[in-house]
Amino acid sequence: MSDRIKPIPSEIGRANENDIRVLWNDGHESVYRPRYLRLKCPCAGCVDEWTGYKVLNSEAVLKDIVPLSIGLVGRYGVRVQWSDGHSDGIYTFNFLRELCPCQACGG
Amino acid sequence: MSESEKSAILEALKSVNDPDLGRDIVSLGFVKEVKVCGAAAAVTIELTTPACPVKDQLKEEARQAILGLPGIDEVNVRMTAQVRSSVTEGRPLIPQVKNIIPVGSGKGGVGKSTVSANVAIALAQTGAKVGLMDADIYGPSIPTLMGISEQPVVGSDNQIIPVTKHGVKVVSMGFFLPQDKAVIWRGPMLDKMMAQFLGGVQWGELDYLIIDLPPGTGDIQLSLCQKAPLTGAAIVSTPQDVALNVAQKAIAMFDQLNTPVLGLVENMSFYVCSHCGERDDIFGTGGARRVSEERALPFLGAIPLSSRIRQLSDEGKPVILVDLDSEEAKSFVQVAENLAAQISVQNMSSEVSQEIKVSF
Repeated sequence: MSDRIKPIPSEIGRANENDIRVLWNDGHESVYRPRYLRLKCPCAGCVDEWTGYKVLNSEAVLKDIVPLSIGLVGRYGVRVQWSDGHSDGIYTFNFLRELCPCQACGG
Repeated sequence: MSESEKSAILEALKSVNDPDLGRDIVSLGFVKEVKVCGAAAAVTIELTTPACPVKDQLKEEARQAILGLPGIDEVNVRMTAQVRSSVTEGRPLIPQVKNIIPVGSGKGGVGKSTVSANVAIALAQTGAKVGLMDADIYGPSIPTLMGISEQPVVGSDNQIIPVTKHGVKVVSMGFFLPQDKAVIWRGPMLDKMMAQFLGGVQWGELDYLIIDLPPGTGDIQLSLCQKAPLTGAAIVSTPQDVALNVAQKAIAMFDQLNTPVLGLVENMSFYVCSHCGERDDIFGTGGARRVSEERALPFLGAIPLSSRIRQLSDEGKPVILVDLDSEEAKSFVQVAENLAAQISVQNMSSEVSQEIKVSF
């Protein structure tokens, strides 16, 4: 099962008023700016399912968008309810980790 | 009883190991009550499942360990069980259900429903509280297998009250569908049905909720993995579909959805001729065991291909109820016990590693 040992979050919460903080079970800490995460939304409305091209128009996303709530999806991902009403994207733990913007992760 | 007598007994019981959890029963916290009265000792051992496959072995080892102490010549070991829950995070959809275990397969016709029904009954017979959800909406066969002809009723709070049969609470799409009608639904409807079957049914308190999935890796499986924190899945395969790399698809799906796979069951593993008793490996045998070794997954057991299982299933009399001493019934009991053991292992390990705190 070696290929299954992937980090999963142990804590998901707020880093400050608007930023999202994820503490991983391998000790790593990720802090995401809301707009950055919203632009990465992987849902079929934001990314073309067949080609993988981004459909979402970045300029249409509010500059001051904030997450209203975050909930777990099964045991593999999270769903964010954004202040613009969008909540379709499921950020799998793997995807979320790949998005980590910290320097060590190459962000 | 002095403290020293009590600690001597606990010390002695540290030599008794649970082979599945790989630790001794004292540090696992299984020893609940220790009493000494003169030369007689009494202990209560609480296991994580009443279906523990090594229950008798542990009981005897504990007895011998205590008898080895000086001044004790009578021991009474009482075995109880408290099933651990895999529900730790967020707002669970059905909080009173401790463990949700989907039974899946890569393709149809491998005997998922037969395995689900017999395993559910086997678990219930050990004293566990068990529910069985027939999520195979395309071909709901659980009502037939379990011999259920009654209809579930709807309670005052608009919740479905499951039909209880052979000690198992059952809900099936088959209850709500005329026999000559088929379900032809797109994803969103299937999604709704899963929500209804999970949250809209009065399951009550359950140790195990077994979910008989439709074959394959589609909408229902995805919905289920998204809606509920599953304990882990059991995969049923025949030696044939393992060879064709189909069962592995089901494993891959649960991997992708981060749902643990508790183990593989090989159904139709071999055929024993009812006339001459000769064994014939019709589809080849041992494939599922091989895959479980390759993937480092537990192998839960092999079920023979038997016309008796088929016949009794069609009559709605699961073999496990009709003839508990038969080879067929024993193989199902073994699968149920191994599954229960793996659920315990999963929950004991996830208590430390899997909890996700969401504060938002």
